[in-house]
Amino acid sequence: MQLDESLQIYIIESRDLLQQMEEALLTLEQNPEDEEKINAIFRAAHTIKGSAGLFGLDFIISFTHVAESVLDKVRNGQVPVTEEIVALFLEVGDFICKLIDHVAEGTTPDADTMVVNDGLINRLNVYLGAPRATAAALPVASQNEASGVVESLDGVETSCWHISLRFGPDTFRSGMDPFSFLRYMNTMGKIVHVATITQALPSLEEMDAESCYLGFEISYESQASKVEIESIFDFVRDDCDIHILPPHSQVQHYIDLIDRLSNEEMKLGEILVKCGTLTPTELEAALVQQADVATVDKQPIGQTLINAQLVQPAVVNAALEKQRQVKESKNSESNYIRIDANKLDELINLVGELIIAGAGATLIADKLGDGAMNEATSNISTLVEQVRDSALALRMVQIGATFSRFNRVVRDVSKELGKDIRLEISGEETELDKTVVEKISDPLTHLVRNSMDHGIESAEVRVPKGKPAYGTLKLNAFHDSGSIVIEVSDDGAGLNRDKILAKAIDKGLVSAEQSLSDKEIYNLIFEAGFSTADAVSNLSGRGVGMDVVKRNIQALRGTIDIQSTPGLGCTMSIRLPLTLAIIDGFLVGVADSSYVVPLDMVVECIELSAEDYASSVSDKRNFINLRGEVLPYLKLRDEFECKGEPPIRQNIVVMQYANQKIGLVVDKLIGEFQTVIKPLGKVFEHVKGIGGFTILGSGSVALVLDVPRMMQLANMESIKEQALVES
Amino acid sequence: MSELIVAQPPRTPQAVKENVIQQYLTFVLGREIFALNILNVKEIIEYGQLTEVPKMPVFIRGVINLRGAVVPVIDMAARFDKPSAQITRKTCIVIIEVAHTGGTQVVGVMVDAVNEVVEIESGNIEPAPSFGANIRADFIEGMGKIDGKFVIILNVNNVLSMDEVAALAGSIVQ
Repeated sequence: MQLDESLQIYIIESRDLLQQMEEALLTLEQNPEDEEKINAIFRAAHTIKGSAGLFGLDFIISFTHVAESVLDKVRNGQVPVTEEIVALFLEVGDFICKLIDHVAEGTTPDADTMVVNDGLINRLNVYLGAPRATAAALPVASQNEASGVVESLDGVETSCWHISLRFGPDTFRSGMDPFSFLRYMNTMGKIVHVATITQALPSLEEMDAESCYLGFEISYESQASKVEIESIFDFVRDDCDIHILPPHSQVQHYIDLIDRLSNEEMKLGEILVKCGTLTPTELEAALVQQADVATVDKQPIGQTLINAQLVQPAVVNAALEKQRQVKESKNSESNYIRIDANKLDELINLVGELIIAGAGATLIADKLGDGAMNEATSNISTLVEQVRDSALALRMVQIGATFSRFNRVVRDVSKELGKDIRLEISGEETELDKTVVEKISDPLTHLVRNSMDHGIESAEVRVPKGKPAYGTLKLNAFHDSGSIVIEVSDDGAGLNRDKILAKAIDKGLVSAEQSLSDKEIYNLIFEAGFSTADAVSNLSGRGVGMDVVKRNIQALRGTIDIQSTPGLGCTMSIRLPLTLAIIDGFLVGVADSSYVVPLDMVVECIELSAEDYASSVSDKRNFINLRGEVLPYLKLRDEFECKGEPPIRQNIVVMQYANQKIGLVVDKLIGEFQTVIKPLGKVFEHVKGIGGFTILGSGSVALVLDVPRMMQLANMESIKEQALVES
Repeated sequence: MSELIVAQPPRTPQAVKENVIQQYLTFVLGREIFALNILNVKEIIEYGQLTEVPKMPVFIRGVINLRGAVVPVIDMAARFDKPSAQITRKTCIVIIEVAHTGGTQVVGVMVDAVNEVVEIESGNIEPAPSFGANIRADFIEGMGKIDGKFVIILNVNNVLSMDEVAALAGSIVQ
């Protein structure tokens, strides 16, 4: 099903609003006094309901309406904020989210959903005291209005609201449809009569098919309050002329209305009669009065406004408040633009091309040796660099939003487990690429659940150990040499080394004779089919998960590491590249080919001395003494099986990744340059040690080395060799 | 308009099958001539500036820069288990788009020389012989008759099966 664009926006916005609602609810749980949050929740529910009306999504309206009524009571202090209320509204939020999913799929809710729907509505109705439909639930404000005005002698007979609508010419252009408003009005009451005003319609030649010339005079029967009726028109209030007169209004107000719409004066009176709003006698009286007022009082409008204010100060205040809120939310909205992620990708691709083209131009300028030309190209490349940075920054998002989602996870899971667990979040402002953020959420959830289930002990175990009864889970993020590190740590029991080892031997993952370091043993939990939980729980323990986590992270060119202290807790660190597309590279030459390594990982470059090289050839001693440190190295010539003899002078590029240093022996050091990583594509997708391609200024292709993977392969090889020697 | 439609003789599916003329690009590998359906061919470029990818099977010669896109180049002769081609002045890279599970991939095919585009009627295409052609039977789509001689028409999707190529490329490294 093809959804039109505005519905698509509605879906996205509603999901955002539900997210905000959830965050607000969780804050509220900690701090029930926070009125700001209650308002935020109310606004979210209200906007979702309001916009649903525009699309005729009745199942959302009817449900959200009940929720909103309860929220209104909470807001007025009639219903206290309790844990149950928060829990109920978390469920309500989830359910609305489900309804939105239905909208996104273009389906209507099935029977099961409706059962949940009715269940939730019943639970919500408890807070409303009585079913919403009866007159007893009539909002206090409108009751006052009604009774107050009825007593006045000038009040007209009808018990219907009168609404006078003149839609602005841009209504259609802003994606609104007058008909949907009328339809929505019918959900809150009953439209008794509609008179369509077509006077504004120009002659056919002058008519613009995209403009709206329509107006409506509506007689409306509803129990809703004025604020509620006004809120129907929230979306068009700015460019439309809307007048709402409550039932039994003073004749003066109708006159005022007729005055304001004076160019249609003659007809309007008749229309009001037609609508049943005024009786013919009332109209006559009104017209007489109008004539009087016109001569005696020069400012009937001002007068009436004051009157109106005196009569309904609550309504006016509410309207002002509403206006202020709308303005505020508009201000903050104007700082953001929603962009299709594909457009952004396109831009970044183009910037990539620009960088390559720029590098080509610089190369040619260098060759020409023209000073002015050189200067111009270097200016351009500085600018291109800035363009690249800001283009990339567009894709960068803070990790905070991802982290805060875990408030809910931790809350739900800790309730389920019966453990008191608190979540501490730090480093929310750390930025990383949007695609990375999207893909990291699932693995993180796994780790968090795992820590809560297996890591943190129950209070009975914790207290005797001198730990606080509540467990703490920490999420932290920071930047470290060109990558982002995300840590999930808990203060639980830590990993049980012996248990893991026993299990691994049991599963045949390692042999009993193998001597393994602690780190190697901890890493065994990432093997497929490994799980140490004695009992399989709802949350984890089925032995799927950790290996999936590791694979997902590796797919993002990242790594995962475990530090664990028995009895004190465990920290999982995920290390990911900041961005997947453009990097600062360091170009090296081996044989006739050029290779690029990420500049962030390069620590220094040193010469491979003749004697070290000799010893590597004769004794296969592939390490050097780097200022007292042992530095193992890989010879790229050997790695890539290059033909020919190495040059007399070879260099070592010292690379650092995740606290490990290694050297890469290369023929030539060419220098740093920015580079766009092109994906490997189908043909090379299984190749290890190569992360992608890049195009050099000269137009030829260079290979980008996947250094972390190379390090890993080298480590694995040495473990294999070790195993061979031992067996 | 209506006249035009009426003027055309009604075509039966049978007639379509017999009368179809398709265009084929012929090229040289070693001393043999092969043909490719022209619809598979995106463009033909001169051989040049190829970057080798280490630890690859022989038939993957490397990658080239095709206006900003990195395109793998496959040595067709080596793919047929024949001695890999020598680079000469006439060596060309034929750029072809092939489908694979999950998308399409642009690849370059290195050939010794490109001859011409010929038209072959479907009636002049014989089914592939089950043996004797000296290359894998599933690589052959048919035998086209040109001037009384048979030319092997290649089945591009099998010759350049990306799933197979990727598996071969991966297996060498492991």
